Amino acid sequence: MAITFEKVNYEYDANSMWSQAALQGVNLHLESGILAGIAGATGSGKSTLLQMFNGILKPTSGTVQVLDITLRGGEKAPKLHQLRKRVGLVFQFPEQQLFEDTVEKDLCFGPINFGCSVDEAKERARKAMEKMGLDESLLSRNPFQLSGGQMRKVAIASVLAMDPEIVVLDEPTATLDPVSRAELIQLLHRLCREEGRTVIIVTHRMDELLPFANQWVILHEGRTVFQGTVKALIEQADQMESYGIVIPQSIRYWRAISEKFGLSGEDPCLSAEAMSKRIAELVSAEDV
Amino acid sequence: MKQRDLKGPHGTTNVVEETVRNPNVMPSPYSPTIELVGVSYGYGKDLPVIDDITLSIPQGQWVTLVGANGCGKSTLVKLMNALLPKGEGSIKVKGLELQSDTIGKIRQTIGMVFQNPDNQFIGATVEEDIVFGLEGQCLSIEVMEERVKSYAARLGITDLLYKHPSELSGGQKQRVAIASILSMEPEVVIFDEASSMLDEKTRNELLNILSDMHKSGRYTIISITHDAQEIAASERVLVLHEGKLIADRTPTELFQDEKILEMSHVIAPFAFQLTRELHRYGLDISIPNCEKELMEALWPLHLRK
Repeated sequence: MAITFEKVNYEYDANSMWSQAALQGVNLHLESGILAGIAGATGSGKSTLLQMFNGILKPTSGTVQVLDITLRGGEKAPKLHQLRKRVGLVFQFPEQQLFEDTVEKDLCFGPINFGCSVDEAKERARKAMEKMGLDESLLSRNPFQLSGGQMRKVAIASVLAMDPEIVVLDEPTATLDPVSRAELIQLLHRLCREEGRTVIIVTHRMDELLPFANQWVILHEGRTVFQGTVKALIEQADQMESYGIVIPQSIRYWRAISEKFGLSGEDPCLSAEAMSKRIAELVSAEDV
Repeated sequence: MKQRDLKGPHGTTNVVEETVRNPNVMPSPYSPTIELVGVSYGYGKDLPVIDDITLSIPQGQWVTLVGANGCGKSTLVKLMNALLPKGEGSIKVKGLELQSDTIGKIRQTIGMVFQNPDNQFIGATVEEDIVFGLEGQCLSIEVMEERVKSYAARLGITDLLYKHPSELSGGQKQRVAIASILSMEPEVVIFDEASSMLDEKTRNELLNILSDMHKSGRYTIISITHDAQEIAASERVLVLHEGKLIADRTPTELFQDEKILEMSHVIAPFAFQLTRELHRYGLDISIPNCEKELMEALWPLHLRK
């Protein structure tokens, strides 16, 4: 199990008059090597949850276990150095965190901080670029001269350079154009599928992640109101609107097809390619 | 860049024509709201950001401007109200030629809403923020009060008038930004990726505001967006590619043209994608508006077998 939460509460400004509960009784089980999506309306606690994954925020009460490190509410936290190294967090608009004068220096900053030699850091930087589908020639460029999409990918690569086991991203595709968005999601999917990393993505565009994610978590007012597979999510899709989430088109279409043709036992086909293939099979099933 | 001659038309052919019809004469009621002829703009001769664009937009039309990042969309709309110095060609707004002595008048006609509302807040409260633009127009206090009241009500932000902008959510901020612009009563409103920072629900809210504005018939809307739903709701799509206008068509035509979609970095709505894929399997159905329509189209095919 990569991440386990048990009855986790988190309050901002706990013990003060202004304490504000952000997470209430959250239980969560995310296994290693999955691609998980976290959705929820603005203010549902997504970003708070995310920051608990590598100990930036510690639970007010309850237990957070990430890999083999346990954080208990009310107890002194263990040393978090290892946790930070093994869980890479990519915040919203990560390109705003680029600061060095070359891409290579920016990518080497993390690994060197965690004790890598310069040569090793450079090697990791090169690998991270490759994972994000970026050309090596960009390493010597100034990160601020890259296009928006490239900057975003470099910033994600700078987290990958630390070689984390778990990568957590907060709305990685926001404000990118649709083609760059699809490309980025595919790169992240590959990271999970080919390298066995656990990838957790917070998103408010569920549709683009639906064909790839094997687990979904939905937050509503600081509580986990759903956790499970896409299939289970589709069965409970009607409740999504009450959580402030718009039901994605692909889910609407799949549900209609699945009801009409009695496919409720099947794994859903949520990309246009997969769905049309399934429809073609259904319609021509009795063709011969 | 060296600022080009602001007074006259450019290119040799226009000279005679333009001297005949003086650009300073009163605009004709029949002129298109926006008219661009041979507009180019760039940083040096070799790098045109905007390359010889000619187009005209009639009053009341809802136009979407699409294209990959860096294709010149923002530059083009910024040229329309002289937020950038003029380059080659002629830009007319309601028949009035854009030049140094008409900039003031033209800017009163055009309002712009940008991607990040945080970047256009000025006041310490929402009310102050709306009033700022009105003060700039030298309106009387009574008129200003009336405008604040009516536009706040129209955009549903009356309860927020005395809040500090930092207390608002992203969607609320965007509505305040729109109220500030609309209260100045522009005839043309340009949205420069105004929905790209919003979540799904708030994006729908913005779309409703745009639809209402369009239905009122008072506004000519130019919207830069990548959002398929927003494109679908508009009347006309202009596609920019490397500074050139490569297509001018309806949303439905755009969504069915794979080549143009690819060049403009637009992804068609799910129903269009699905229909296109189904065509590949020889299932010839028309594009459904909702899942029910798809089922109605599929069921007879299924039964016939």
